[in-house]
Amino acid sequence: MPFLQNLSNALVLACTYILMAMGLSMVYGVLKILHVAHAAVYTIGAFVGLLAYGWFGNFWIALLVAMAASGLMGVLIYRGVYFYMLDAPRTVPLIASIGLFVMFTDLLQKDFLMGPYQQALPVGGAGMPRIRTEYFSMTPKQILIVLVTVVLLALVYLILSRTRIGLGWKAAAMDREMASAVGVNLNLVVALNFFLGSALAGAAGVLVGVYNNSVFATMGDLPSYKAFIIIVLGGMGSLPGVIVASLILAIAENFLVASVGYVLPRDAIAFLILILMLMFKPHGLLGQE
Amino acid sequence: MSKLSVNQVSKQFGGLQALHDVSLETDREILGLIGPNGAGKTTLFNVISGFLPPTQGEVHYDGRSIHRFRPHRIVEQGIARTFQIVKPFSDLTVLDNVLSGHGMPFYPSWRAFFRRYHTPLTRQVAREILELTGLTAWRNAPANSLPIGLQRRLEISRALATGPDLLLLDEPAAGLTAQEAQDLADLIRTLYDQGKSIIVIEHNMAFAMSLCQRVIVLAQGQIIARGTPAEIQNNEQVINVYLGRKA
Amino acid sequence: MSEYLISVAVFVGIWVSLALSLNILTGYAGQVSLGHAAFFGIGAYVSAVLAVRYGQSFWVDFTGAILITGLAGTILGLPSLRVRHDFLVLATMGINFVVVALFKYVDFFGGAMGLVNIPAPTLFGQPFRGGLPYLLLTVAYVFFAWLVSWYISKTWVGLAFQTIRLDEDAAAAVGVSSPRFKIYAFGISAALAGGAGSLYGHFIGSVFPDTFVFVESIAILSMVVFGGVGTLRGPIVGAIILKAAPEMLRFVQDYRFTIYGALLVLMMLFQPMGLIGDDSWLWRNLTRPFRRQTKTSPESQEASQ
Repeated sequence: MPFLQNLSNALVLACTYILMAMGLSMVYGVLKILHVAHAAVYTIGAFVGLLAYGWFGNFWIALLVAMAASGLMGVLIYRGVYFYMLDAPRTVPLIASIGLFVMFTDLLQKDFLMGPYQQALPVGGAGMPRIRTEYFSMTPKQILIVLVTVVLLALVYLILSRTRIGLGWKAAAMDREMASAVGVNLNLVVALNFFLGSALAGAAGVLVGVYNNSVFATMGDLPSYKAFIIIVLGGMGSLPGVIVASLILAIAENFLVASVGYVLPRDAIAFLILILMLMFKPHGLLGQE
Repeated sequence: MSKLSVNQVSKQFGGLQALHDVSLETDREILGLIGPNGAGKTTLFNVISGFLPPTQGEVHYDGRSIHRFRPHRIVEQGIARTFQIVKPFSDLTVLDNVLSGHGMPFYPSWRAFFRRYHTPLTRQVAREILELTGLTAWRNAPANSLPIGLQRRLEISRALATGPDLLLLDEPAAGLTAQEAQDLADLIRTLYDQGKSIIVIEHNMAFAMSLCQRVIVLAQGQIIARGTPAEIQNNEQVINVYLGRKA
Repeated sequence: MSEYLISVAVFVGIWVSLALSLNILTGYAGQVSLGHAAFFGIGAYVSAVLAVRYGQSFWVDFTGAILITGLAGTILGLPSLRVRHDFLVLATMGINFVVVALFKYVDFFGGAMGLVNIPAPTLFGQPFRGGLPYLLLTVAYVFFAWLVSWYISKTWVGLAFQTIRLDEDAAAAVGVSSPRFKIYAFGISAALAGGAGSLYGHFIGSVFPDTFVFVESIAILSMVVFGGVGTLRGPIVGAIILKAAPEMLRFVQDYRFTIYGALLVLMMLFQPMGLIGDDSWLWRNLTRPFRRQTKTSPESQEASQ
């Protein structure tokens, strides 16, 4: 009985991971930069979602506004910072990303922004139904998360496989110089990439904020660490890998905590998986290098 | 001098058979390894120099079985190689690049902790090598500031610094002007006169034929001909392979 | 010198030696680590355990910390043999996390409450926790770390480190075994970090797991890169500025980290080689009077023929 319930809960958790990690994977796929500042766009999404919900009173509008804000922030980060470091040694964009992360985390905690305490995001179920079977049940919020995730993933899939931008992205991910040489507008592709990836993270932030009814300045830290682990697990730059890896991680966390929870905290599970992965299967379960 | 013996070496990558039943022996000569693109020449070098293990077959050098050795141990045996796409230590000076090869005897031992690498003696040895390869004027320049032709010479200088008896040169003449190629050929002949054995992978036909004493032709992972340059040039199979016709 | 300034100086000294230690791993050998605080922590904890649970004198604690952390470094450095670059960064992050979790959840290490009542070091029977004597001890250690770094850079080991940083395949082709030298780099840098940890623990008198979290690893790496990764002066300057600045900038207390973050971003945008790294504006101007007249480069000589 709890098995299916655990599975259902894991699915919901996995959705939030997928949205967060997908964006990170998209950035890494093209730029090969460890975008630590991704945590910031997640949090900004939640914050803007909170504000927008306050202004408009409608979840869906708030979600769209939040995604737009996060996406915009992502593009700014790219164009203002990473753009100048594309050919620098690895440590340069890494430290810059770290600098951005530290800056945003500090700024967001200031009173004029999010403040040091958590705030509520009382959205309720946004009109979603409740599922109740004898084996498991899903609350409206859970259904909301899964629904939004599926829709966004479908959108990403369509963009990547059907549009020219999407093709350009795939080319750039394989070989940036080559792609540029055959006429792919790298700047545009990467900027859109950042926009989309950051918007997804923003959506994740809103959804998690709604689910836990809580929004706070450092909420992005842990999800972004896990997102890194997920992209390693799934194969750096592999988008389907992100989905598989997110599911695996969410399931592992849910089930393992039930059995050996007291030995190590739940979050350490993620890191142990990371280390085991890197020792035995460094290119991820699905990735190619 | 020591004999290199490659015995029935095959190399497979998943479904791709890069080398099939390749055997050769060389000792104290300038041997050319030619063939169309994708024939497996560099793969063969990678197997001999320890960067790839053979799927089947063995490589022996000086009586020792070396096909299980990692690259750094191969260098210790006296086999040095250059790369098709040059790999200089970009931030280091030309001199330091050469010195890095000179350190080969020290790296495996604790003596590496107790010897300075920049001493009058080591600088002297390095300078002799740079004289030989014509890079003396550039010795203090960072390696990545050299034009491609000189970077190829740097590769060779660095390989020489490890004190090898056998040199594996992977397309050393690629991208060189006619004059540079001529100078390179002279250098290789000088090295031969000094007692070294050399295997050269080359695409540049004229270069290979005028330089090498013996030539082996590789196509699609297999040896299709061996002989002197004259014999090879008249070999119909070889001609067909290069012109794309079926043999 | 006031008590406060001496404290700041001791802290700065400890972090300078941490930065120097990471510089050997990341700057010389090119292994980017976002988990160096783990070694800092292991040193602090080994030292604390030896002092508190086994009653050893500071000098035993200190030496033990260096040796055991060095050993830990060679073991925890093993992932670097399998993975490179970005994967390694993530692996070191994970190692940091697991090490801290160990400190937090294993009772032997005092759990979340840490270990307290670490006695002050004594020299010939005289205890000296604060004040000038401890500062002198710290300065001596900084000098030691600097000396080790300088020495290594002059030997074949140092050259080997450079080769694996620049091109592992080419390094192998000149006889440098990457695994061997990566382990060397991890061992040496961990040992030095461990010594810093011991100094830290005995200065504060207690050790807590949260001091050694991932955020601290970021701070140490930032110091190295900010100052100029790979040079000897860079990590020293970087650590001094980034460690002392938040203290000195108390008037911007509220925005310390915003400024800190902004400093990192700006430095990477305008001087990615570091504040005082080779080819930085500052270094070029400081050394201008000392540079010999450069002869015309060989290519311009050839061109004019």
